[in-house]
Amino acid sequence: MRQIAIYGKGGIGKSTTTQNLTAGLAELGKNVMVVGCDPKADSTRLLLNGLAQKTVLDTLREEGEVDDLDLIMKTGFGGTRCVESGGPEPGVGCAGRGIITSIGMLEDLGAYTDDLDYVFYDVLGDVVCGGFAMPIREGKAKEIYIVASGEMMALYAANNICKGIQKYAKKGGVRLGGIICNSRNVDREHDLLNAFAKELGSQLIYFVPRDNEVQRAEINRKTVIDHNPDHPQAQEYRNLAEAIEHNEMFVIPKPMTQERLEEILIEFGLMENLKDDYNI
Amino acid sequence: MSQAIEQPRFTCALGSCQSVVAIKKGVPILHSGPGCGGQISRIIGQGEGYAGGSTAPCTNAEEQDVVFGGEKKLRSVIENSFKVIDGDLYVVLTGCTAAITGDDVAAVTTEFQDEDKPIVYVEEGGFKSNNYASHERLVNAIIDQYVDKFYESDEKIPGLVNVFASIPYQDPYWNGNLEGIKKLLTDIGLKVNILFGGESGGVEEWKTIPNAEFNIVIGPWVGVKIAKHLKVKYKQPFVQFPYLPIGAIETSRFLRTVASAAELDTEKVEEYIRKEEEKYYEHIEKMASFMLEFRYGIPRRVYSIADSSYALGFSKFLLNELGIIPGTQYIVDDIPEKYQDLVREQFENISELDKKRDIEVVFDPDAGNNQLKLEEDAKKYEDKRILILGSAWDKNLASKLNADLLIISPPVQYRLIMNCAYVGYQGGLRAIEDIYDIVLSTYR
Repeated sequence: MRQIAIYGKGGIGKSTTTQNLTAGLAELGKNVMVVGCDPKADSTRLLLNGLAQKTVLDTLREEGEVDDLDLIMKTGFGGTRCVESGGPEPGVGCAGRGIITSIGMLEDLGAYTDDLDYVFYDVLGDVVCGGFAMPIREGKAKEIYIVASGEMMALYAANNICKGIQKYAKKGGVRLGGIICNSRNVDREHDLLNAFAKELGSQLIYFVPRDNEVQRAEINRKTVIDHNPDHPQAQEYRNLAEAIEHNEMFVIPKPMTQERLEEILIEFGLMENLKDDYNI
Repeated sequence: MSQAIEQPRFTCALGSCQSVVAIKKGVPILHSGPGCGGQISRIIGQGEGYAGGSTAPCTNAEEQDVVFGGEKKLRSVIENSFKVIDGDLYVVLTGCTAAITGDDVAAVTTEFQDEDKPIVYVEEGGFKSNNYASHERLVNAIIDQYVDKFYESDEKIPGLVNVFASIPYQDPYWNGNLEGIKKLLTDIGLKVNILFGGESGGVEEWKTIPNAEFNIVIGPWVGVKIAKHLKVKYKQPFVQFPYLPIGAIETSRFLRTVASAAELDTEKVEEYIRKEEEKYYEHIEKMASFMLEFRYGIPRRVYSIADSSYALGFSKFLLNELGIIPGTQYIVDDIPEKYQDLVREQFENISELDKKRDIEVVFDPDAGNNQLKLEEDAKKYEDKRILILGSAWDKNLASKLNADLLIISPPVQYRLIMNCAYVGYQGGLRAIEDIYDIVLSTYR
């Protein structure tokens, strides 16, 4: 069983990427569980064709305890098992503790069965406290992929997340599997992400191009593979799934200083700094 | 980096719940995990008072309250506390979990304040400080959120003073000491808001805090923040006496200090002092023959492992009135650095005989560490009997050193304390009785 956590800046497309990717893995015949670790509980909407009925924490709040896995786990596209941790209302309580509680509860209820090939944790954008690092603590996810784009703040967040990974890598054995680019069509995005990933000592595992088909599928509450399997974008996600399936590069990332990050941005992120003239 | 300390003789910030218990019909409402209140009352506390110890209402915050926030539960505990406990003042105190989670205790409590319920909140979080600092915050919170509601005019009541002395239960003899202080001040013509304990007038007395002419702080540091707050808020000056006055010399000095600040009739005050001293020394005179004959039987040196106010008060009394010489003084009340010089200076000038004394003063809240040092030092005086002013936790050390132990610091355990007091003339006599009692009981 490979346990994988997906991190990245808020709004970067972690949930969209994770679900399209898991749809691709499901097509490959893999048994996958997706655990949404975001109080908004929208990490499995595309796989379930709508929001999950109840989150783990909702159930805990109403019932006092959760003793039946079926109450909180729903089956989605291609047999994927979908769970949402959920969380308190915005502004109250401790969402981080909520994630710790719900992952603990999934373990107690026996959600981690031996037939699972993959468990994905789709984690809230900013790792603001220990609770959001729960999926990468000892005994949980050993692989991390960071979703990023060529935008400055996305790279800044990715670099920050690497600092967290570095901390847990020392004792927990968690490794960075690569950067997934969810393209925003900024200048020289591919070059920039490649250089950024290399600087971290990792790789740009896949470059997902921007395509409106994703938006259309989302409005229809579906992954692209589910909504329009013959669309070229569906193939992109299948390729991403293959890349993850065959990935063998797992490293302890080397986060960079703010100055170095900005140097990379200047070097690779601007058209005018391009040394060769690619114009025809 | 912070380090672990052994045997802290105080508590976390939540310990100020004991100060609420010490207010007549005061009810602490703990928004904390189960057990916090019990833990505190085992260290500083004996008996549950009106609604303290294990009887204090508590949200017993558990995992669910952390994840979803504990405000709902707190609201229901407050509502029900009003239904089942007949209190005059309710104070919500926050423990660590609720403080980390960030429950909006102020918002919940304000709902009840808006209904004119006598309720106050102090957002503590046990980790925020020790109970000395939180006691000050508690008193200030009660003044700001409750007392101030009744504040109508600037008019001061002639002769009325507020006293900030012993911290209830942190000073194990707080009740007796506060009664004693009130009596002394009343006897010299003042009206006294003593605020805590049996001789106080409960919340009605608290309401007159703004009308006092000035404030009295007894002790080197705790209470200063309250006095400074009142100075700004109600323009009340304050006078500080930096230790607990024990025995005739210090009590007379204390009364003269206050009398001069209050501009009282000197003759009347001196007359009172003369009478009290006469009574006091009459008792000693009666015992003079016995004390003289027994002079080699009593301890020669005194070590303190105690709060600063007590260590100073007792050392002054024991040196100048009983001739027991202070050895190293281990001050365990976590006194902030800026007040340490004041304590050192007081020890330097401890002697009435105009001679600077070289007394070693160690400021270290780690009482375990202090015990080791004390043991080492005491070995140098093996042939001399020593007295330890400490806590119940020093019992083993005392028996190891064949020392006499007077418990004046929490936890007390081996002694039942109702209104025993060491403050004042009466307290001095009591101290002499107790020390001789401890010594004599070792004979067979």
